[in-house]
Amino acid sequence: MKRRGWVQRQGWVGYAFVLPNMLGILIFLILPALFSFGLMFTDYQFSNPRWSFTGLDNLRRLFGDDNFYDSLKHTGIFLLSVPAALVLAFLVALVLNRSVYLKGLLRGMFFLPYISSGVAVAFVWMLLFQPSHGPINEALRWLGVVSPPGWFADSGSAMYAIDVVQVWFMLGYNMIIYLAALQEVSAEQLEAARIDGASTRTITWRILWPLVSPTTFLLLITGLIMTMKSFALIQAITQGGPSGSTTILSLFVYKTAFSYYEMGYASTISWFLFACIFAITLIQWIGQKRWVHY
Amino acid sequence: MKKKWLLGAASVMMVAGLLAGCGSDNGGNNGGNGNANGGATEGNGAQSAGGSDAGSGTGEKIKLTLWGAVPEEAGAQAVLDDWNKANPDIQVEYVRYVNDDPGNLKLDTALLTGQDADLYMNYTLNRLQKRVDAGTAVDLSGSGYDIDGQMGPDAAQWKIGGKYYGIPTKKNMGFIWLNKKMLDDAGLPVPPIDWTWSDLRDYAKKLTKDGVYGLLQHDAMFTATIDGTVAGLGLTKPDGSSNFDNDLWKQQFQILHDMMFVDKSTPEYGEQLTSKMPVDTMFLQGEAAMLSAGEFIFRNANNLKDYPHDFQIAFATIPKVTADQKDYKYAGGLGDVLSVNAKSKHQEAALKFAEWYADGGMLPMASGGRIPSSKSVDNKQAMDLMLKGVEDKYDADSMNKVVFGSFPSFQLAVPQQVLDARKEEYEKYFLNKQDLDTTLANMAKEHEELTKK
Repeated sequence: MKRRGWVQRQGWVGYAFVLPNMLGILIFLILPALFSFGLMFTDYQFSNPRWSFTGLDNLRRLFGDDNFYDSLKHTGIFLLSVPAALVLAFLVALVLNRSVYLKGLLRGMFFLPYISSGVAVAFVWMLLFQPSHGPINEALRWLGVVSPPGWFADSGSAMYAIDVVQVWFMLGYNMIIYLAALQEVSAEQLEAARIDGASTRTITWRILWPLVSPTTFLLLITGLIMTMKSFALIQAITQGGPSGSTTILSLFVYKTAFSYYEMGYASTISWFLFACIFAITLIQWIGQKRWVHY
Repeated sequence: MKKKWLLGAASVMMVAGLLAGCGSDNGGNNGGNGNANGGATEGNGAQSAGGSDAGSGTGEKIKLTLWGAVPEEAGAQAVLDDWNKANPDIQVEYVRYVNDDPGNLKLDTALLTGQDADLYMNYTLNRLQKRVDAGTAVDLSGSGYDIDGQMGPDAAQWKIGGKYYGIPTKKNMGFIWLNKKMLDDAGLPVPPIDWTWSDLRDYAKKLTKDGVYGLLQHDAMFTATIDGTVAGLGLTKPDGSSNFDNDLWKQQFQILHDMMFVDKSTPEYGEQLTSKMPVDTMFLQGEAAMLSAGEFIFRNANNLKDYPHDFQIAFATIPKVTADQKDYKYAGGLGDVLSVNAKSKHQEAALKFAEWYADGGMLPMASGGRIPSSKSVDNKQAMDLMLKGVEDKYDADSMNKVVFGSFPSFQLAVPQQVLDARKEEYEKYFLNKQDLDTTLANMAKEHEELTKK
């Protein structure tokens, strides 16, 4: 009897300690999330006091909305930047892990984008990608390309141009994490492989790549989640244009909620976005057994 | 037994506390400080709130907040300084918001709480409509201020459901700014009032030189002609279907497309879009012969220090599509609609300020091109304020005809979704991703679908 009383009392103290934090999470995270879940079933418009429950109308509208399918497709293209950034970062980390000249400087240079201001970076890329006299297209023309792509100015290429910026952005962070992972790899293993006559290529893809697979897994999951949610970069560069070609799901939510004030519909889209992220993470979690070696 | 347990518990906790203290000294201290600070700021908050209450109680001073998008230094602060000097009992404070989505969201949030937003400016009918729906705009019909009488017939375009929810305070103007020197050099006269897009195309073609565009269009003016066209035609056809596929739009789009890709007398759409061309600066630097824009350019055009230019500026109307086009409306009418928040505690004082503002209080902003629409204001005085010291930079004749002339105008009552969907479609056309007929058909289809709901 008395023993339990003491346990209970101490348990109470423990809860008291986490209370301030939990209160914050409850008020600023859980309640709004529940609220938005409720909004899904209404036609609530921000600031408009008249609203009603509409059941599953928002979901029906979502699956009949061309703009939604377009933004889903754009999100898919945007997600390509994650594996691209991973592989590139791995290769860069490999090189920078060896003894090369100016190693410190190069590492710093690759990491620089990650710590610079996103909006400033966006403007630099807009100048670089300027279609008629930007440095990139000037260089392409000099190399003999007759009509270089319009990059951000063309609805066919804009999403891929955004991918380029995103890869460049994520590269430094991924590289640093990979560098740390590569330094964990024991020299004996590599030496043994070399004695057995393994080529650099074999060592890279058969030994190093599997050995850093937990890192790849971590970066892949966090990268996909971050990319699906990311918003600032595109908002700064194209605002979802031209002709909606860079409107990914998160921008679609933003536009619906804060430009059209359709909070009910916007909540529906964001819960769909959440479901996507959740599903992707779950699939990876299950799939990891096949390729992640701890 | 009980005491022993207590003792044990206490000693365990003390040890734990000590260990925690040693283990992460910094963490512990920071946590403590954080809490202490939190408490302190809360205390301050309570105090200051009490202080302001006491202040309003004793002095009976009313404090109002006005939200507007004009930068403080462009005359907005000068207006409030005038008022505050003359009305010590009603002090008005200015909050500048940027007239974009986040800015308007901020304003709408402030309006809902009823705090710190007593008066606010609306710049489009869409936004005003939302605020009326939200119940945050006072119906001014019963205010005793005769909006129709003071502001003239164009004011009625701002009525919602037959009622005024704000006072339109300034004359909106949209026209083509012309570099008179380039016109003279090319032997072209200032175009007549009723010119058309074909004429404009000819002009632009003749005026285009190396490093000089014939025509630049400000974003805000890109749809001025097609909007003015449907304002006359009607948004829908007699049978209720959308009018967004009308033949006049087709002709105008075609001409503009040709100007971009055949004549190259105006920037290609994608390029202008992504390089965020500073069209006003380019025009004032002589990199364009014509600029389609609103009166807001006066702010820069009158500023010879930062935007030096030696040419005179002449004006032309935004052309209609064809010479025989009937019922074409011109970009213009009235703007800067000043509303009183229905959740404000000081609506009477706010209304008093609004009337004063509309009937001439706003004059310090005239130099930036904001000409009051109230008949209580002497037009000549406003013009003089606007052109003080730079009279010789403008062609007086065309200025009188175009800038101070009166034309049939409109306010477009089309929801933002429809405008965005329309833009998405015509962008495809101007980016050469979609042919013109498909574009028009899609615009009409989207219009019908979005307004059906």
